Amino acid sequence: MKQRFLTPLLTIVLVVAGLLVWSLVEGNSVLLGLDLKGGAEVVLEPSEDTELEGEELRDALDQSVEIIRNRVDGLGVAEPDITRQSNRIVVQLAGVEDQDRALDVVGQTAELRFRPVCGRIPAEQVDLSGENSATDSDNDGPVGIQPSDRDEASSEETSSMDGVETKEISAESTPEGVGCEDLGFTFTEALSMPTTLPEDDDAELPVILLGDSEVCVGQGECRLVLGRTMLTGAALETADSTFRPPEWYVLPIFRSGEDGIDLFNIAANQCFNQTAVCPTSQLAIVLDGVTESTPNVQTPYFERDQITISGDFDQERAEETALVLRYGSLPLEFETPSSRIVSATLGKDSFDAGVVAGIVGLAFVALFMFAYYRLLGVAAILSLALSGTMLWVILAWLSTSRSLALTLAGVVGLIVSIGTSLDSNVVYFEHLKEDIGNGRTLRSAVDRSFPIAFKTIFYANLASLIGAGILYFLTVGSVRGFALMLGLASILDLIATYFFLRPFVKWISLSDTLSSKPWLYGLPTQEVETP
Amino acid sequence: MSRLRRMYRNETSVPFSKIWTKVLLVSTVLIVVSAIGLFGRNLNLGLEFEGGGAWEVPVSNDLQADEVRDALRPLGLADARIQTGGGVLRVRTELTKAVQNQIDDAQEVDTVESITLVLAELANPDNPDPNSVSVSTAGPSWGDEITDKAVTALIVFFIIIALYITVRLRWEMAVGALIAVAHDIVITVGIYALFQLEVTPATVIAFLTIMGYSLYDTLVVFDKVRDNEHRLVNAKLDYREVVDQALNQVLMRSVNTSITSVLPVISVLVIGSGVMGAVTLREFALALLIGLLIGTFSSLFVAAPIATWLRERFGNEGADKGRSYRLSEAVKKRTSGSSISSPQPSNPSIPPRPRKNKRR
Repeated sequence: MKQRFLTPLLTIVLVVAGLLVWSLVEGNSVLLGLDLKGGAEVVLEPSEDTELEGEELRDALDQSVEIIRNRVDGLGVAEPDITRQSNRIVVQLAGVEDQDRALDVVGQTAELRFRPVCGRIPAEQVDLSGENSATDSDNDGPVGIQPSDRDEASSEETSSMDGVETKEISAESTPEGVGCEDLGFTFTEALSMPTTLPEDDDAELPVILLGDSEVCVGQGECRLVLGRTMLTGAALETADSTFRPPEWYVLPIFRSGEDGIDLFNIAANQCFNQTAVCPTSQLAIVLDGVTESTPNVQTPYFERDQITISGDFDQERAEETALVLRYGSLPLEFETPSSRIVSATLGKDSFDAGVVAGIVGLAFVALFMFAYYRLLGVAAILSLALSGTMLWVILAWLSTSRSLALTLAGVVGLIVSIGTSLDSNVVYFEHLKEDIGNGRTLRSAVDRSFPIAFKTIFYANLASLIGAGILYFLTVGSVRGFALMLGLASILDLIATYFFLRPFVKWISLSDTLSSKPWLYGLPTQEVETP
Repeated sequence: MSRLRRMYRNETSVPFSKIWTKVLLVSTVLIVVSAIGLFGRNLNLGLEFEGGGAWEVPVSNDLQADEVRDALRPLGLADARIQTGGGVLRVRTELTKAVQNQIDDAQEVDTVESITLVLAELANPDNPDPNSVSVSTAGPSWGDEITDKAVTALIVFFIIIALYITVRLRWEMAVGALIAVAHDIVITVGIYALFQLEVTPATVIAFLTIMGYSLYDTLVVFDKVRDNEHRLVNAKLDYREVVDQALNQVLMRSVNTSITSVLPVISVLVIGSGVMGAVTLREFALALLIGLLIGTFSSLFVAAPIATWLRERFGNEGADKGRSYRLSEAVKKRTSGSSISSPQPSNPSIPPRPRKNKRR
């Protein structure tokens, strides 16, 4: 008999203790937000040759702010401070103590580029003397090395880039330099050239980058020689991923007009016809020096919203690629960003005040619960400690993995949510009292009240969860963070109530010495029962 | 028996339905005042929403943010965002739109000028050089996109929650609950407008917290009402009496939950911002305090009466026992003398409600 409630009780306590130990061993800890602890700051200034001015530039910057926010704060909990200050963007990241890391995070916001794949070469950089050794393995994949016929302009990678080769495509909207024509080096030379570093990645020059696994079929790793950028992410409106059995697809949607789908169609036409501009019919999607995907172009002309990219995507890859397409494109090009460490805006005294106030407040709550519900109050406090521990483990994990940052408002919000989460205890206890007032014994009241009280708690929490879900999926920024916290609090409340409070109250109600003294439970006593 | 003891034992009998009208009058006045505040004075939106001015000056590394704050205090800018680091001091603060435009147009303005001078002096006390300070406008960090999305999400949220309550409980309760939530938000936001408290992102989160709390609280109350509906038949009560009884039963729960939620907030208010002087906490805690109290109040005095009145007026389900009971009561009055003793409704045009629906 005792097993029936002792087992779940022990299980939940052990599970939570295990989680706590895991969290401590992993070294997870909760990050404090910008207002409390400061962080690192990255300043982005538009590159000098941008043609935008005044209001247009400001709009482009504002748009960039939103895109950067989405990239650095996908979950909505990192609470970065991203502002436009006159003609630059200042990104402040909480809890980042080293400047390089800040640059890394923001650096992911580099321009998304579509480059034709000119050919594949082995991953290893080869010494020129051994040039024949590495060129054999190119027959098994869909793409082979196709040495350019016109390599007379061969010199160094960064050589003559005067954009005179635009004769084949006369449209004015053609990007400068055309794809794989006149790379400026031969494939044989490419073998010995280093992989292009992200900071040398210039839109108007060909690059050599590591290929992704889908394009390097049968080779393990390979490098790609990519032509000049045909179009950038600015041409994209949005992108999504979808599952059409048996495969996942990425669905990009381009902007209409000559800065959007027209640019893509020019590239698509070249690739489909395998002209010298795009000899392999593959168009690589490159973000910040990383090849994200290398789809084959299978038609010469596309409607802007009827494009699917296939490529043996699994769900994760498809969603990732869609994310890159959606947010990887800034409407502006920025100078190499600079970074520095910044102090907290509020400082430690505010944080201390919040913590002290929280502890005092919680002490009062515990005192109240104990005074009013006695032993049941102890159950409530233990249940609170349990859900509090779970919350801490989750927050610490999110801090470590998703750079969640706890701001002062967050601290206060947590304190409030703790006070509120006692509600489920109160609902249960009041129901118990009502039942006992109606003449039931403690034991039968415990058995009868829980399901009824839990139903109320469950449906009320379900409403909170629905609300949290809607807010989470439809919003960005700190509202999103709030929704996550609300949802977490609701779920933890349900878990603590069902798996801890229920067996615990049952357990103390079974003890004969205790249950003979109803005042211990803050319950109506027999002698005052008759008025 | 003392009133407190009766409360403790859940044996209160507050005639809620008798005082609803009076209390709703108070609510209406509060809402009108809030609306006047909102439309008359507008909200005092913080730097995060409206943007402001930004100053930057190279300083020696040992300059503390507190010193800067003290220096800016005479200008009324003690709440400016001040950051130091990397040998640079940065100050951000709210400015009116007009002043911002003047910065953009490189005009000189008194406030801007004086801030610049103060900072120049801080940077180099011996030889202040205003030209070392760069002044610019800062855009909002809480952009329009966040607001737009949040508003859309709230509308969807209201619709789905209304559907949820309709399916789970009753549509009258859905209307009551949503009006109660709106009531709480309007009054809290109205107080912010009236007293021109600064709205920061933290405040917005506080508003959302209040909304969630109010909704949760109302649902617990309505769940009790729904559970008690069988008494319409068994105890021959009319709907109003059933609601009254249910509200009395959840009264202590409402009071206790308010206490446990409000205690920490009062602690933040008194100890955090009062004793320890964390000014930033004050308004946030104030918003929460007002909102939490109003949230509890509105479940009992706004959501419940609205749901009850709607049900009395439109409770048109054929098997609605509350209505049929009242009908039979009316019959009783008309044909005075003939007694109606059956617990079943006597009006044959209204079939008894199927049993299985009773405890949904």
